Amino acid sequence: MNIKEFLSQDHSSCDELFASMEDAVAADISSAKEAFVAFRDATERHFQMEERVMFLEFEQKTGMSEGPTAVMRHEHTQMRSLMEDMAKAIEAKDSDKFFGSSETLMILMQQHNMKEEQMLYTMAQQHLSAEAPRIVEMMSSMVVEA
Amino acid sequence: MNYQGLSVDQAPPISIPFRFFLSAPIFGIIAGLLILSGSVDELISRYSPLTIAITHAVAIGVLSLTMFGALFQMLPVLAGVSIPKQSLFAKISHSSIIVGLLLMLAGFLSSSKLLLPASLLLGIGFMSTILPMLYAFRKVINITASVRAMITSLIFALLITLMGMHLLASHGLGNFSASHMLFANIHSVWAIFGFAGPLIIGVAFHILPMFYVAPRFKRFCKQKVVWLITFGLILWLILNIALPSYSWIAKAWVAMFFWAFSTTVFLKMRSRRRPTSDVTVYYWISASIFMTLGTFAWVFDDLFDEQYIVLVSILIGGGFIFSIVQGMLYKIVPFLAWFHLNARGYMSIPTLHDMVDRRVAKWQFFLYIFSLIGFIFSFLLPTILPLFALSFMVSMALLEYNLIKIALLYARISKTKPDFDMSAFA
Repeated sequence: MNIKEFLSQDHSSCDELFASMEDAVAADISSAKEAFVAFRDATERHFQMEERVMFLEFEQKTGMSEGPTAVMRHEHTQMRSLMEDMAKAIEAKDSDKFFGSSETLMILMQQHNMKEEQMLYTMAQQHLSAEAPRIVEMMSSMVVEA
Repeated sequence: MNYQGLSVDQAPPISIPFRFFLSAPIFGIIAGLLILSGSVDELISRYSPLTIAITHAVAIGVLSLTMFGALFQMLPVLAGVSIPKQSLFAKISHSSIIVGLLLMLAGFLSSSKLLLPASLLLGIGFMSTILPMLYAFRKVINITASVRAMITSLIFALLITLMGMHLLASHGLGNFSASHMLFANIHSVWAIFGFAGPLIIGVAFHILPMFYVAPRFKRFCKQKVVWLITFGLILWLILNIALPSYSWIAKAWVAMFFWAFSTTVFLKMRSRRRPTSDVTVYYWISASIFMTLGTFAWVFDDLFDEQYIVLVSILIGGGFIFSIVQGMLYKIVPFLAWFHLNARGYMSIPTLHDMVDRRVAKWQFFLYIFSLIGFIFSFLLPTILPLFALSFMVSMALLEYNLIKIALLYARISKTKPDFDMSAFA
């Protein structure tokens, strides 16, 4: 599997967890914490696979550290802050507030994913094709930092 | 290597899409006034000046303006390309289309002298969006099904613009060529199935799986359907010129794929994973139902010498294209306000749910669908038409209210001090 396929598939599985989380909140917000944590952990893991592995390799290879990866890191920060809002809404059992933030996160996340899949992953695959198996292996075995 | 699409600065300034989006419902209201001013007898003929005026108030004023605004916004994200001098072209395009369209409407209602400058201005307006975008596509590094659909759509847009300019100029000069009707027919069919159709299909490939976590489209559908439709539209043109009595075959071919597409949309929305049903979901589902009716009506209309063509255009133009356009506005406009504010360092922004009054949006949707159904029944019972012209205008006014509310909120927050200084990211 190449870098683009690996990370794009991970986007899809985060989408699935996102949908399950919304299902759980729609059913009963007081028992939705588990589904939320599953989504948040998977998303955090995805962010770190990029920030701590793939982006670094890409930046080293292309010499661009202030370029596209900086913008993607910034959007990760935006999404982390929305996930915090969602966590607070779950604690407060406020499903209106939760869906307000989850809707915002959904669109932000999707346009972010689109930019990555359309451009960054395509470029990364071009620049890093020789190292792809090693990078994918590093990403799948990475341990998430708190 | 082109990295521009990934930069925040390359996301078009919010004024570009907003300019197009906020103008659109106003032309909806104008279309409502024009319907109110006419009689069913006049409106049942597609070639009466009033029908042409109303059709274009909607097709250009509402649908094209919104689609162009959305294209300016989506090209950097979906295709990863940036449009050269986008602010300049957006301004020229927007203002020329608006002035050109107003002259066109006035021209059809009063003095045909206005139609020549209208033709020129509309030509400039459409070309200033279409040509820079087609030029920008040469740099695309990853040609996806959506990118191909957008390019196809823009090429058809280019062709229908040239035809439209010619047709309008003919009206202005009062000098109609022998093939005027044929041109008008090609112009309208290609506008719907060549320009709007592929654009909607291309966007749907992305939007439905992403925003609603609906099942993805099949590879065959993504790779082939736009080509098959294009083939059908070209075949239809050739048959119309050479063997008109067989043109229904190509028509049925094109209709079949749009019917398949709308059925697919319906099924995918039914099996979407996200539980929430907002007004955008209603619009996608209603669009798929209207389009199913519309494709059959379009093909069977041939048996009746096209005497129901105005009904067909209500079903397809109003029920399908217009519905999706409104559904997309409810998604894109609040998100853009949020995205631009957040990128500028504002952290305490209302969520997307708080930006749109969902009750008003639902009323807007129901009034819109009520009006469409009413327009169709008005052909049987002409006296009821004014009621639906009014409900249509109210629905457009509510749409404008929803959009303006977001724009004002954006403007109000922009005037306050951001929570974080984002100049380091600039």
